[in-house]
Amino acid sequence: MKVTVHLHTTLQRQTPEGLIRRLEVELPGGSRVADLLADLEITLSMDALLLAVNARVAEPEQILQDGDQVNIMPAISGGGGS
Amino acid sequence: MVDITPERHMKVWRVNVCEQTYSIEPTPDTWAHLGGRGLVARILVDEVAPTCAPLGPGNKLLFAPGLLVGHMLSSCDRISVGGKSPLTGGVKESNAGGSTGLQLTRLGIKALIIEDAPARGGWWVLLLSPEGARFEPAGDVAGLSVYEAAPRLLERYGNHVAIALIGPGGEMRLSAAGIQNLDKDKVPSRIAARGGLGAVMGSKGLKAIVIDAKAGEKPPIAHIEDFRNAQKEYNKALMSHPQTKVYADYGTAAMPRMSNGFGGLPTRNFSQGTYEDVEKISGEYMRELLLQRGGESETTHACMAGCTIRCSNIFGGEDGKAIVSPLEYETIGLLGPNLCISELDSIARMCYQINDLGLDTIEVGAALGVAAEAGLMQFGDSTRAMELIDEIRKGTPLGRVLGSGAATTGIVFGVEKVPAVKGQAMSAYEPRAIKGTGVTYATSPQGADHTAGLTIRAKVDHLDPTVQVDLSRKTQINMAGYDTLGACIFAGFGFAAAPETIRDLLNARYDWQVNGDILQVLGKEALKLERQFNLGAGLTSAHDRIPEWMTRQALPPHNAVFDVSEKELDEFFNW
Repeated sequence: MKVTVHLHTTLQRQTPEGLIRRLEVELPGGSRVADLLADLEITLSMDALLLAVNARVAEPEQILQDGDQVNIMPAISGGGGS
Repeated sequence: MVDITPERHMKVWRVNVCEQTYSIEPTPDTWAHLGGRGLVARILVDEVAPTCAPLGPGNKLLFAPGLLVGHMLSSCDRISVGGKSPLTGGVKESNAGGSTGLQLTRLGIKALIIEDAPARGGWWVLLLSPEGARFEPAGDVAGLSVYEAAPRLLERYGNHVAIALIGPGGEMRLSAAGIQNLDKDKVPSRIAARGGLGAVMGSKGLKAIVIDAKAGEKPPIAHIEDFRNAQKEYNKALMSHPQTKVYADYGTAAMPRMSNGFGGLPTRNFSQGTYEDVEKISGEYMRELLLQRGGESETTHACMAGCTIRCSNIFGGEDGKAIVSPLEYETIGLLGPNLCISELDSIARMCYQINDLGLDTIEVGAALGVAAEAGLMQFGDSTRAMELIDEIRKGTPLGRVLGSGAATTGIVFGVEKVPAVKGQAMSAYEPRAIKGTGVTYATSPQGADHTAGLTIRAKVDHLDPTVQVDLSRKTQINMAGYDTLGACIFAGFGFAAAPETIRDLLNARYDWQVNGDILQVLGKEALKLERQFNLGAGLTSAHDRIPEWMTRQALPPHNAVFDVSEKELDEFFNW
């Protein structure tokens, strides 16, 4: 299956073609958000990440579906005081 | 010469604009433990009839530095400005960075209270210095725009002064007018924007307040070593926080893609939660653009001396010349997607014009969205949007309507879809997609205001109506606490990682013995006082509501309505 990933701010990728912040990723069926993070070699802890699948807050254990839109944001509590 | 130091205590400076007199008074005991937003609320409850006319002699214009202001602690030198709001008819505190707060503390000013109404016409400059307070005719700066007036005032009073000033919007007493303060580079861009306090300043006949603290001195610290230790801990926590780097590199402009990612980016006058051109207005794109343009562009810029986060920026055009500084998320959101305008250069130029008029970009952006709904402009037409902003500059009836904010614009043009609570426009977070922030909009005594309690970073289901009141309450209490300290919202990253430093800094500064819950104690007190003032002004639970159309009209992509129950909203202040 294929999901679309939106990388935010410091997670953007430097490539020879320039900065990449939107990419398609092929994953085996039944993959979880955590598997996607591992595939992308994102090593930030869950405390340091905010995840959204199809515009809803997601947990790392959530199973992904073909065509999902995944936003990966290095944004954590603070600021809003929450 | 006024002796500002012997007791080493901060004083209350009271200025009467009718008599053009002033007095310096000891701080009342019940005010001593407060600063910033909490002190503004306390003074309003103690001294201002909540039923007074906001632009009349009964209202007072207040300036109160936060409790930690004066020591160049990173991101902790904010000034709170307050009064009864002409926009909401209720309590108002609006805070800003820049140098005003720091310089007021160097004159030993705990609170500046400006009262009464001018006996005669004309515009005045209020000069504050160790010599005391003095009125001087504004002369040739009267009628000038913000960016024209500030350099002339600096020429007149010296490059070292701090200035709080109004633009033509404040002179016209428009409800969207704010009060602008100089940043560390002397640019008058740090605006106490919300709620029409610029109109209150205009009603007092003051074009500018100039603070000359060259001969003043830093406020005293009771236990200097303890203070420095706590400061070190706080700085360490702030600097090691990953979010600090995000904000240094991208500023608040990191938010468009995040809000869009949650389906909560207000688009087309709050009718969609995602924007097809979000990449073009993103902080990530802006950073690339500014690095490429170079010249005066800066992606990382501090608004206050001593700030280590430096979330601000200077937006330069194709020629590298600065168009505006800063260009922030809320401005991008309300003037960009909200109007379906996707060119950052156009948004930056509109931002400059609105700043120059001395108006709140959120309120004007929302008013333009309502104007577009009414057919006064096409969505996406930045040329027409600029023409409408120019109507405000000309002071035409249409311009004055727009400059009075989104709610007034909706009334005049018969538009139901107005994104406002208690008369104040929402900022760039959709309450139907980020419902905790919707609760904040509904229940904050300030009216719709994201800075009162933003919940988008919380790891909750933002669409679940049952968890939002608790979340918003916690966030609002913390934010009211930070606003009482004079701490920027982003100082919260450091304080959240090392919460004991708030207690330690306060105890060291004031020789207090407060506990680790002091942030919440201060926050709760501020909110209770604000609520008390509003109840006296006739703003009750009936006003703690999201506009009715947002409970009915579904927002794509989630097709969500605002469905937090009214019963729960009414429980907000029961803690």
